[in-house]
Amino acid sequence: MTYSNKEINRLTPTNEDTVGPYYPPSLCENNNSLDMTNIRSGIVFKPLGEKITIKGCVKDIDGKLSNGCLLEFWQPNSQGFYYRPDTESHEMVDPWFTGYARHRTKDGNFSLTTIKPGVADGRAPNITVTLFSDGIMRLVTQLFFADEKSNSDDPLLLSIPEELRERLMINKVAHNEYEIEIIMAGNNETPFFDDLLS
Amino acid sequence: MTKYGRQLGIGPTDNTSNERTPRNKLNLIPEAARTSFVPYAPRAHSINLAEADMTRIAPGRPRASGEAIKVSGKLMDEYGRPIRNALIEIWNANQHGGYTHDEDHSGLPIDQNFLGIGRTLSSSDGNYEFWTIKPGAYLARPDIGRWRPPHIHVSIIGGSSRLISQMYFPNDPHNAKDPMRILMGDSFEANIGKKYIVTDGDFDCGYNFDIIIGGKNPTFFENNIT
Ligand SMILES: [Fe+2]
Repeated sequence: MTYSNKEINRLTPTNEDTVGPYYPPSLCENNNSLDMTNIRSGIVFKPLGEKITIKGCVKDIDGKLSNGCLLEFWQPNSQGFYYRPDTESHEMVDPWFTGYARHRTKDGNFSLTTIKPGVADGRAPNITVTLFSDGIMRLVTQLFFADEKSNSDDPLLLSIPEELRERLMINKVAHNEYEIEIIMAGNNETPFFDDLLS
Repeated sequence: MTKYGRQLGIGPTDNTSNERTPRNKLNLIPEAARTSFVPYAPRAHSINLAEADMTRIAPGRPRASGEAIKVSGKLMDEYGRPIRNALIEIWNANQHGGYTHDEDHSGLPIDQNFLGIGRTLSSSDGNYEFWTIKPGAYLARPDIGRWRPPHIHVSIIGGSSRLISQMYFPNDPHNAKDPMRILMGDSFEANIGKKYIVTDGDFDCGYNFDIIIGGKNPTFFENNIT
């Protein structure tokens, strides 16, 4: 086996640790409100696309709501374009949409107001969720829209067993209104993905 | 075919960890979905310099009680390259182990002069420093006498860098039984601040805590590593 110099000289990373129960809600931008469509309030400009609301909750192994979780959402704009350091001056960027929001849920429920994500890089529309909670290190997953035909070709969905895919589906419950349950452990556990090894 | 990543461990004697740790192995992210798993938090941080001084509620207010300490270090990726202008959020208990969070129902004393919440930015060299009060230990499981050792929570957001961790203190007797410390094993060493003498200002001492953010994420878009 051969190693490059880079590998030999790597520093030991600081371990992740649990966020604990007392992350200060006041540290979240926009006063902890979970609305990606309003990055600059009080102006006439709005992001392009279909404004939707996703009501969700996070539950534990006993089906109890998981209080105190810190949730971070990330997604492309309605054109399927991600706002990132290497794309920020691109014409496809929607200047009124960054695709990032975070929120500390007090009781385990959340309500995300956003724009329905477009199709990006051969992927079905999805929203990346990072979940920090007491008792665990960071968890990551992606949520999809149950009524999207492109789900059948999505490389992430295809990489997990068929019976698990529906656990990542956001279901439509009314016009522009969706619902999702994230189950951290046990029966119907949400599939989570490894952020470190790839 | 599914490729699996880590099986996460449950923190011993930690009830919340037992309730919330996924029982299934993590699924490995396929290469085609890789970039979509590196959230980028836009830099819209406006920080008041005084937020790095947690020893007072605000400039000119009385000093909080307990040992005033400096915590400083360098924020880097695994290759030693600085992570610049990153948002560092800090929160810790007061000298009695109590938090000002309105969900802390421990009944531990609150210090009217200690908020326990601060923020700072890493410099263009990746360096950071904040001042706080050394937190006390608190009894996390009264039924079995298990304490949480003194610790300072840190959250780092720097572009696509993301880490939530805790700094522990050297030689604390409660370190050994901490559930997350047990999961970390020998690598716990990386999460202990190294004590140093402070000669300027009114501080008991300082702790050096270099924060190394591992994996590709810290520099995924900013500085591609192959
Ligand atoms: Fe804590």
